Amino acid sequence: MLSMALMTFKEVIRRRIILVIAALSLAFLALFGTGVHYGFKEVAQHQGPLVTMFAQQFLSLGLYFGSFIVAFLAIMAAVGTISNEIESGTIYAIVPRPVRRSEIIAGKFLGYGFMLCAFAALFYLAIILIIQLNTGLSVPVKPATLGLFCLQPFVLLALSLFGTTFLSTLANGIAVFMLYAIGVVGGMMEQIGYLAGSKVLIQIGIVSSLIMPADSIYRKIVYSLFSAPGISLTNMLGPFGSGSEPSAWMLLYTGLYILCFLALAVRIFSKRDI
Amino acid sequence: MIIETGNLTKMYGKKVGCSEICLSVEEGQIFGFLGPNGAGKSTLVKVLVGLLFPTSGTAKILGRPLGDLGARRKIGFLPENFRYQEWLTGEELLHFHASLYRMSPAEKRRRIPVVLEQVGLGGKERQKVGAYSKGMQQRVGLACALLPDPELIFLDEPTSALDPLGRRDVRKIMIDLRRRGKTIFLNSHLLSEIELICDQVAIIHKGKIVSMGNLEEMLSGTVEVEMQVEGQTPQMLAELSALSRKMAVSGRFIRQSLDDRKDVAALAGVVVRNGGSLFGLRVGQISLEELFINLIQGGGGKRAVNGFDDV
Repeated sequence: MLSMALMTFKEVIRRRIILVIAALSLAFLALFGTGVHYGFKEVAQHQGPLVTMFAQQFLSLGLYFGSFIVAFLAIMAAVGTISNEIESGTIYAIVPRPVRRSEIIAGKFLGYGFMLCAFAALFYLAIILIIQLNTGLSVPVKPATLGLFCLQPFVLLALSLFGTTFLSTLANGIAVFMLYAIGVVGGMMEQIGYLAGSKVLIQIGIVSSLIMPADSIYRKIVYSLFSAPGISLTNMLGPFGSGSEPSAWMLLYTGLYILCFLALAVRIFSKRDI
Repeated sequence: MIIETGNLTKMYGKKVGCSEICLSVEEGQIFGFLGPNGAGKSTLVKVLVGLLFPTSGTAKILGRPLGDLGARRKIGFLPENFRYQEWLTGEELLHFHASLYRMSPAEKRRRIPVVLEQVGLGGKERQKVGAYSKGMQQRVGLACALLPDPELIFLDEPTSALDPLGRRDVRKIMIDLRRRGKTIFLNSHLLSEIELICDQVAIIHKGKIVSMGNLEEMLSGTVEVEMQVEGQTPQMLAELSALSRKMAVSGRFIRQSLDDRKDVAALAGVVVRNGGSLFGLRVGQISLEELFINLIQGGGGKRAVNGFDDV
């Protein structure tokens, strides 16, 4: 399993995936930082609670698109993990070796998981740093929220690994992106539901969170960051905010979701002909 | 027996991959597995190495059931349609496969240079696999298969990308492995290669084994005779046909397959007795290619070979 994990990690480095990610992430952060710097400069000329609200909106905007980029990376990295290796023939020399097929899946999960975790953590810290330096907003670095930010890609990683065991790379990519979109749109609808007092929209949001819980983790992070005393609920509303905190049960559900799809990936791969 | 299968069957839906395969391969030999394209050769190899799951039947490798990890540690496999991680160097690729075999660092240090030399890639281990020629990739694949010094090696078309010198090198490796008591299961289209080095052969057609046994015995079972006869009569041809397993006539030339070498003299007797003139008589043994074609095309009397008409 460790050999597979190391090989997966090595692949990410050798195939310059990490280089491309780093370059594009820096471009994003530079754009975001510039936007925050000049945007906040304009806003800061006014006085009052509006300034803090803008700072928080910038933070949630950064975290939202950060989550999106990490999710995108998780899908792109893992979507063809098994299907690509079957198509190219690489897997023919690996499966007959004295390794369990479950170890191959677990190794790939760990390899990509480590890379995504490190990337997500750096991204999270970079966004907080940009906000603090440009707006002066004090954002506490809570290990729990950092952990949640790192947990997000694991949802998509497990789902992508599940799909790649029986779908072609393209079909799996489309399926996982669509599911992610359902989660994102459902999450936004839920927030609109809170603003408009629409139970139907809130219900749609809950169902979509069950189908794809990645967005609810983001909402939990935002709620956790902005739930300090003195912050009004209105600051948490809007498409990038969080009107209500997803419960601990939702986190448990997310954990089970990851384990369940990982177990299904192992089960399908262990029984399939190659 | 190092490989033993009982009615091993693999179906792809309703399509037969291989059917009721009963194989017994003794250790210390090169076992040739032959068959036309789509006959089920690769299917059987894939079942034996754990890439495919059998639909029914039993199989044991090194006395253990299919998929046993302990047995797999003693098995090497070079797949046919393989590709290795092109972004790795040859040495890194071998390190990775050595890790999959759970070899210790000391074992890796010892075995990797040995197999690199064995396959003729010594000094080229720092190059990226993607920069290797097709032949070199086949060699590095063979090196991966030889890493654990396996008891049993499955080679699926191991020389398909190699030039004649490369093929000779691989033949030498196989012969050397047999000398050291290893067993090789060789899946190949190259009949001449099989004929040169295999001890036992199995021929598969439409998913079923149509012939299996000691190669020497299989080839010595039939004597091929070619005569040049003038003054052929229907009576003469009928008598000649009665003596042979298969007979074909092309002008003055009569080609026959006999079960027994002793019948050669009787053929000459038939020609002379029926007033014919015998201008030439050549006795030979059936080649593996002829045996293969006869078996695949349903045995004797079905096809004219090399311009001969069947009688």
